[in-house]
Amino acid sequence: MTISAKQWLQQIHALPQRKDKVKIMNVCGGHERSITMAGLRKALPDYIELVPGPGCPVCVCPEEDVFEAIQLALNEDIILVAFGDMLRVPVNVPKAQARTLEQAKAQGADIRPIASPTEAVAIAKQNPDQAVVFFAAGFETTTAPVAAMMVEGVPDNLSLLLSGRLTWPAVAMLLDSGTPGFDALIAPGHVSTIMGPEEWEFVVDKHNIPAAVAGFQPDSLLAAMYSTLRQLNDERYFLDNCYPSLVKPGGNKSARRQLDKAMDVYDANWRGVGIIPGSGYVLNQQYSSHDVRAQFPSYADDARKRAGQMPPGCDCAQVVLGKIYPNECKLFGTACKPRNPIGPCMVSDEGACRIWWAGGMRETVNRVSEQEAVG
Amino acid sequence: MCLGIPMQIKSIEGFNARCEAKGVERDVSLFMMQDDQLEVDDFIVVHVGYAIQKISPQEAQSAWEIYDEMLAGEQS
Repeated sequence: MTISAKQWLQQIHALPQRKDKVKIMNVCGGHERSITMAGLRKALPDYIELVPGPGCPVCVCPEEDVFEAIQLALNEDIILVAFGDMLRVPVNVPKAQARTLEQAKAQGADIRPIASPTEAVAIAKQNPDQAVVFFAAGFETTTAPVAAMMVEGVPDNLSLLLSGRLTWPAVAMLLDSGTPGFDALIAPGHVSTIMGPEEWEFVVDKHNIPAAVAGFQPDSLLAAMYSTLRQLNDERYFLDNCYPSLVKPGGNKSARRQLDKAMDVYDANWRGVGIIPGSGYVLNQQYSSHDVRAQFPSYADDARKRAGQMPPGCDCAQVVLGKIYPNECKLFGTACKPRNPIGPCMVSDEGACRIWWAGGMRETVNRVSEQEAVG
Repeated sequence: MCLGIPMQIKSIEGFNARCEAKGVERDVSLFMMQDDQLEVDDFIVVHVGYAIQKISPQEAQSAWEIYDEMLAGEQS
């Protein structure tokens, strides 16, 4: 018997009302999108807060990687391909220069949006005399297909500018900080489909925080919320799997083998956040001939000097870490809107700012005034 | 980018499958599904052109019904 979203809501409302706030963090843009579009925040009891956390790979892709992609596309005789979201992510350069891949394309660079790594391979095969660079940003769910592409074999003229990231180290960093900003975790469904739910056991085992893996439909998300609330009430914590149709023990083992074969893990920079240990993917030695950073090292060196750059006033990093809500950023809905985004969280379909804006959650909060009033 | 779309396999050639959902056909890579036995008419969840997991027909149907509701909600 399946339980509907409505029934899960009734179950949540039937739980003992807590006096303290319970903050439940999600770490997946798809989760945040479903939560916002289904209006779950308004349907839940007032004591529950749903916090969007580090769930948008486009948002955490460091500025220097976007800058490197723009410079390569403008200055080298290459075709640059990237997932569509990446084309509109701005970098902090003077307005006279190309600030996005989209603007670089308008200036004549050959930049093409793709929806699948298989398209990158097809473009490379169609253009055997030209170098093709695949700027690949993504979490595990997207990086695994990139690894599969490499293991299956790519043409000699296809190289990677890889910005793959692992999700769990960002959550571990928040928890290790001592001020994680959440009381329960909704673990990502498709990351867990690939990597296995076991990756999230540390949340429970090491930090005594309830966690549940959820799918993308409201019934699965509400089941996960109910599970974590029950765990809090009972003070019995475990990792629940509320997406068993896709999330299996050990994950997708074939995909994991391919990730291990093609890539190593390294300490990677997250936009506006800094270095998170063991949080990034890099092509391993076997595939180094397809690593654009080895082919064009001067671009990587130039880009590295820009590490840590953020547009003035942009609070994307705070939004990504769940430290503030999108509408607490002073640029939200004023200088920063989907048509003219300042930060990546307003660009990507998985960015919390864009999702809140699309979902009609546009009322801004004057955070500074509130803090002054409190202080 | 983490969106997964349930699709039905129409034909298989090596690691490539022709798949269909809601009347739209796409080529899908089965390269990440080497531990699974997949056959024509099976349902899979597809992410950026790669199958990431096999699902039952009931789960695929249920997912599409809910996606339809969500899409209708976004467009209204």
